[in-house]
Amino acid sequence: MSTQTPSISERLLDGLAAPAPQHDRDAAPAIEAHGLVKHFGDIHAVNGIDLRVRPGQIFGFLGQNGSGKSTTVRMLTTLLRPTSGSARVAGHDIYADDREIRRSIGVALQDAGLDILQTGRELLRLQSRLYNIPRDQIESRVAELLDVVDLTEDADRRIGGYSGGMQRRLDLASALVHSPSIIFLDEPTTGLDPVSRQAVWDYVQHLNRVDGVTFFLTTQYLDEADLLCDEIAILDAGEIVQQGTPDELKATVSNDVIYVQVEGDEPIQQRAVNTLIQIPNVEDASWDFNEGVAVYTKNGHETLARVVRSLDDESLPFSNLRLARATLDDVFFRATGHRIEPGDPAQSGQPGASA
Amino acid sequence: MSVREAPQLPSSASQEAGILRVLADARFLAGRAIRESLRQPGVEVTNIFIPLFFLAVSTGAIANFSDRGFGVENYLAFQLPVAVLQAVAGSSSASGIAIVLDMERGYFDKLLLTPASRWALIIGRVWADAVRAVFFATIMLIAALIAGSGMAAGVGGAIVILIIAGLFGGAYSGIGIFIAMRTGNAQAAQAGFLLFFPLLFMAPAFAPLAIFDDWLRWIATVNPVTYIMEGMRQLVIHDYGWLVLENGIPVIGADGRPVQDDPPGLHWAFVSLAGFSAFTMTIAALALRARTRAD
Repeated sequence: MSTQTPSISERLLDGLAAPAPQHDRDAAPAIEAHGLVKHFGDIHAVNGIDLRVRPGQIFGFLGQNGSGKSTTVRMLTTLLRPTSGSARVAGHDIYADDREIRRSIGVALQDAGLDILQTGRELLRLQSRLYNIPRDQIESRVAELLDVVDLTEDADRRIGGYSGGMQRRLDLASALVHSPSIIFLDEPTTGLDPVSRQAVWDYVQHLNRVDGVTFFLTTQYLDEADLLCDEIAILDAGEIVQQGTPDELKATVSNDVIYVQVEGDEPIQQRAVNTLIQIPNVEDASWDFNEGVAVYTKNGHETLARVVRSLDDESLPFSNLRLARATLDDVFFRATGHRIEPGDPAQSGQPGASA
Repeated sequence: MSVREAPQLPSSASQEAGILRVLADARFLAGRAIRESLRQPGVEVTNIFIPLFFLAVSTGAIANFSDRGFGVENYLAFQLPVAVLQAVAGSSSASGIAIVLDMERGYFDKLLLTPASRWALIIGRVWADAVRAVFFATIMLIAALIAGSGMAAGVGGAIVILIIAGLFGGAYSGIGIFIAMRTGNAQAAQAGFLLFFPLLFMAPAFAPLAIFDDWLRWIATVNPVTYIMEGMRQLVIHDYGWLVLENGIPVIGADGRPVQDDPPGLHWAFVSLAGFSAFTMTIAALALRARTRAD
């Protein structure tokens, strides 16, 4: 009796239902770095990063443009020599064993690095050859990967004709040809439309849950970090300013946030902050230009009325009172002093490149 | 088969030994570079049209005078090596631009992220340029033969010319690779072809060395293109120059004065190619090392 083998796509969907892998805290780290520094002349891009990523983790670097995310990735993937510090990836030293590291990792950098004159199939075939995959396995491997990223029908078209989403998927497939145990993704969904973003997230979760692949990904999207990552490091000005699981990070701020737009200039905003921080149950209050005054509290419903009363008592006119659950955005703001502002439309759900 | 489980990679211990692996990787990359050319025929047409145009107009302008002026009976044959070298230099310069485009598109980083030897990135380009050089030289030869240049050394001579063209193409690509690695700038890489013109004009491209002023003759004597060009010319006009051993000495003596008016022998073409290749490959390799160290 023969049983029909499910397709990769079916298994991919099955994988999303699989439980997240348990990470052995005592296992040798997949990636570790100590005091990693990179200076470009007077520009201090990375200022002493220490990190430890366990096998099977999805580790996220969350930060704005210019915070040092990509520079760190380039150092860990042997593309850039650190100014100082040490790091090991897949057990290999980044200085002494760079070629062994490249054998062990897959990398998709911020801009999909593709040759637009080749077809998708040719690119994966060349990539397979450069990874020294046995000749008799190359065609089946290429077909498998094209199926995984839903590019089988477009495999023999030139990459220059692919949409942004298709190019990103092909780039991801090219990082998988040699079945790496660790994959670095530098802003994998920047510039993608929501459908393509979801597809990339599905691939990442599948590879992590089903195949136990360790991911090191950088992102400037809070929802992406929250959804995918087991552990997040918030990066600001080349330094890790906060690190933990998404829940741990959120626990560092209060459960609820009350946002209120107080009318007036900055001294008035500061007066409002000083007033509201006096309210019992309020753990912190702050002001920024976009969100107005944010009041952090364990119990938003209870505090809401007190916020209104306090502002009235102080004769501070206000509008747009809003209660929300604390998010990573609040964590980021508390850690860095500014809100994250991704530089492309994907964050707002507007279509960027089409799939 | 899972996405992670798929290929059975050879262990590090069983990887092919160093140089064989480098050559295998270089072959794959050369194949990609040649595909790149085939898919941009419009770009390559320039490398055919311009040398043919110069061959036609220079022959048209000078052929009627060349015999009386400086003793060259068949000026088309005299000019054929110039057209070959021009076509080859034009085609090989494109490598620098292609590398810069790879850098701009992020594909160069993708290649650097594979375990392939970084030397394979250079060797692959050089290999492809050598193949392309043979292709363009073949077109120049066919065009000139049809126009009546003749080939004194026959089919064997034509094959030797193609070998010289291939070696020169590979060597010249080192200049474009060097500029691309050092600057990462497409305009600068494009200037790699312009560097060919001083080398061409300071060689006996349009008239024999014998009628040059001493200062230009001295420069031409240290210019490797002189020997490469004259070697090919030997085959087109005089049969195998390397058999004429008395011609096998440099055209200028230790005292800085000409020691002979005859052109150098064919073997000096290969000596010059070896020296020129050593120079261009060294600067290309040093530039690659500087870029990939990225300190």
